[in-house]
Amino acid sequence: MSKQRVTRRQFLNYTLTGVGGFMAAGMLMPMVRFAVDPVLQHNAAGDYVVTDKKISEITAEPVRVDFTFEQKDAWYTSEVTNTAWVYKDENGEVIALSPICKHLGCTVDWNKDKANPEHFYCPCHGGLYTKDGTNVPGTPPAAPLDVYPFKEVDGYLALGKAEPRKEA
Amino acid sequence: MKWVANDIDMYLGAKEYVDTIVLPLFPISFGDDIKQTTSMTEFISLLSIQLERQFKGRILMLPGYTYIKNNPDNVLIDDIKRWEAEFQNQSFNHVFYLTSDSDWRTREESFEGSLIWLPSLPLESMDEKYRNSILEDQVQQLIHLFVKKWQNND
Ligand code: FES
Repeated sequence: MSKQRVTRRQFLNYTLTGVGGFMAAGMLMPMVRFAVDPVLQHNAAGDYVVTDKKISEITAEPVRVDFTFEQKDAWYTSEVTNTAWVYKDENGEVIALSPICKHLGCTVDWNKDKANPEHFYCPCHGGLYTKDGTNVPGTPPAAPLDVYPFKEVDGYLALGKAEPRKEA
Repeated sequence: MKWVANDIDMYLGAKEYVDTIVLPLFPISFGDDIKQTTSMTEFISLLSIQLERQFKGRILMLPGYTYIKNNPDNVLIDDIKRWEAEFQNQSFNHVFYLTSDSDWRTREESFEGSLIWLPSLPLESMDEKYRNSILEDQVQQLIHLFVKKWQNND
């Protein structure tokens, strides 16, 4: 009867593969985690941020509402202040528009330009939007202003992440 | 637009819309005025962030020119002139320097761009709410100034 003998060469092969495998796993795991983590992670900015604006105080006239939240940019966390233009439409529905011009990203202002009352006006290249955020043809922007989804939290306005408006 | 990869891509694709360049001037000194130069630098860098956000599509906000505060005038002026030569090769209609260091006011005639001087405020001694509203005020003034300059030249 012959005992299955492990040669010296086989022994080394087995052990080295084993150790090598461990080492490879040790290196790869953090890399995989690193790659997948952001996907698994809860998106902090995706949450709603409660502003200090009471829903009952919102009128038909757009007003500026600033709100601050923490933003993670890689390993760097910073406080970011965002702005929304908020008003109620004819049906009493709250509308919260992003002030970021869809042309090249300047900040638009409501009713500021004397020549264009009751419009959102972009001081950079004269972009114009009507009250509901629709871009006025013939001015640089090619899309309507983004819209913030909103919620009511204890009577206060809470805003989510601004999204492009769906075309009607 | 800022001096970061994404914004510069945007700039390269939309150069004709970016007619204004802003260079913040940041003084550094380790002498008696170390604290003053710190708050000047801090104040202007905060303002420049806000300003850039406001006018992202029309201005290119440079990271800033950091200089030794007690360098002789001619050295500093020469440096700014070199910056200006660089800007002139590009198609910027408006060149702005943003600073809290009042020494620049006497040097202003020696170069072409417009100097915007704002006295720095002791932000560190204010609570956050107050500080933000002060900054907001300053930014509004700056916005006004820029819009006016643009209107005069358009
Ligand atoms: S960035 Fe608003 S019109 Fe160009």
